[in-house]
Amino acid sequence: MKLYLYLTTLCCLLFPSGIFSQEVLEFRGADRRGMYQETGLLQSWPEGGPELLWEFAEAGSGYSSPLITDERVYVTGEIDTITYLFALDKSGKVIYKTPVGKEWTINYPGSRSTPTLVEDLIYLTTGMGTVACLEAKDGKVRWSLNMQTDFHAPGITFGYAEGPLVEGNTVFCTPGNADTNVVALDRFTGEIQWISKGLGEHTAYCSPLLIRLPERNILVTFTAHALLGIDTKDGKLLWSNVQDGEGDVHVNTPWFEDGFIYYITGDGNGSVKLKLSEDGTAITEVWRNKACDNTMGGFIVVNNNIYTASYEKRKWYVQDATTGVNVDSVKFDKGITIFADNMLYLYNERGMLGLFKPNGPTMELVSSFKITRGSKAHYAHPVICNGIMYVRHGNSLLAYDVRKPK
Amino acid sequence: MPKASVSSVFYKKLHHMKTVIGIVGIFFLLLFSSNAQDLKLDEIISKYYKASEMEKLQNVNTVIMTGLRVQQDIMPLKIIRKRPNLFLMEFDVADLTAYQAFDGEVAWSTAPWTGNAAPQHLPESRTRDLMYQADFDGLLYNWKEKGHHLELERIDTVETELAFKIKLIRADSAIQYYLIGTKDFLLKKQVSYRTFRGEEITIENYFRDYRYVDGIPFAFVIETQYPGRSVSMEFDEIKLNEPVEDEFFGMPSN
Repeated sequence: MKLYLYLTTLCCLLFPSGIFSQEVLEFRGADRRGMYQETGLLQSWPEGGPELLWEFAEAGSGYSSPLITDERVYVTGEIDTITYLFALDKSGKVIYKTPVGKEWTINYPGSRSTPTLVEDLIYLTTGMGTVACLEAKDGKVRWSLNMQTDFHAPGITFGYAEGPLVEGNTVFCTPGNADTNVVALDRFTGEIQWISKGLGEHTAYCSPLLIRLPERNILVTFTAHALLGIDTKDGKLLWSNVQDGEGDVHVNTPWFEDGFIYYITGDGNGSVKLKLSEDGTAITEVWRNKACDNTMGGFIVVNNNIYTASYEKRKWYVQDATTGVNVDSVKFDKGITIFADNMLYLYNERGMLGLFKPNGPTMELVSSFKITRGSKAHYAHPVICNGIMYVRHGNSLLAYDVRKPK
Repeated sequence: MPKASVSSVFYKKLHHMKTVIGIVGIFFLLLFSSNAQDLKLDEIISKYYKASEMEKLQNVNTVIMTGLRVQQDIMPLKIIRKRPNLFLMEFDVADLTAYQAFDGEVAWSTAPWTGNAAPQHLPESRTRDLMYQADFDGLLYNWKEKGHHLELERIDTVETELAFKIKLIRADSAIQYYLIGTKDFLLKKQVSYRTFRGEEITIENYFRDYRYVDGIPFAFVIETQYPGRSVSMEFDEIKLNEPVEDEFFGMPSN
């Protein structure tokens, strides 16, 4: 028994849950990095792309990514102004379809928020501000509230897009009201635990990051013109980092590594590296690079190199994480970056999916193919789990086999 | 010899070579442009018809062009044309599908991003522009019969190419310019004018990446430059003579 406990503890220490379970349970997977702990993947693709295993073509409009568990795939979509949560089996067949609330249809119509799955509960946000908790088993709504009506959140330009962050018994949301700026809710009941005034700015479509430190845990998210660090225990605003660009759309989840926070935003803001104090109560700006902006494609930090699309320049950059200097660029328009099995996956807004090899401060195109199925804009972040690459393009969720043949 | 001296000799030679190439280039450019300048308007137009395969185009009844509209966003685009002057453009703005069309008599459009997706009649000046834009063969073809007037202005440059600049005075007196390549006699640029919020603005269309579809050249990239912004239409596929009913271009009732 002692040996069993010892081995279990050792496994937990050596293999954090995201790596060991091979499940994708929130936006961009473990720590929201878009870095999938996979091995044995194809290192190049055949012409026309990897084999398409199945397509679920009735997902409705949307830009959200799927969640992948051992048994199921969950994805949201908008049909006739209503957000639905779909539960599929691993071959793309519908198990259930549950309406959640009104979806955003004013511009870029469709579901935005990628849900978060914790144990047997799913949390999601609709574009019109509904925050809901559903039973994963059957889609039954356990509780829901609306940020606009319950927290008097102001109207925003592109609809709520936040993938809810869960820590322990708490789920966080960002209504963006002057008083109820960031809110912590009991994840089982929806009751308010604390309300943070933040800086009183409207929400900025960001799926927050959780930084775990010995002294405290910090929720890191954006509102209109600032990055906020909030103590998850009591909602105290610990620090903020103000944006001086015009843009108020900061979709990308920041990245925390070795005591540094990296973030990249669009519209005149660019990429930034911050040093976080050991106790998490202060930040110091290390560098700021305005020559590389990224509105919503995410980015990857590997071996001290940052791989990111530049939305204004319409190319991908490699940045030196120490200096912030752009050291290489590749023309592949603009879009999303994820990483698995030592390869970069670039999904651009033209629908091209590129497999790139990161070679230190450079990146080389190995293979590419075009996503021709589905509808509308190519904005959903792909997911890789257990050798399957899931690509959502509007009403279609596509599952590609990217495993090396045995 | 020290390394610095080697590189300085090399760069001197390179500079000399560049000068010679430049002089030869200018000579040929002048020679060619002087030949080009000898051409009369009718000859240029005749060569334009031939290069554009106007004879073959007469056997085409419909053109369907699908691709992307690239501005800040990259969104799907479809243009459908039918003889003699039916036109429909389906395009997405903020991932909302909109239309702009001319059914031979009525010009209409939708703008769902304004919150109102209902089709609207276009104002008279835009109707006229769209009517001329819908001309299946283009305004240069049989321009006299259509009531337009042409004047050859001069040789101009379009990006890196020389082009004949032709002034077209439309039958309704509006002025447009057409710039036709001096080498391949294909349309490189078109300039028109529009009144926008009480001010006249210049609209420049650049035609690039010509490819042949059933023996007829089509520009697969058309970039439109307005003051302060540009929009590109990049086509993946152009299909000819697909069946399309006339009713398809009509303004929907609601």
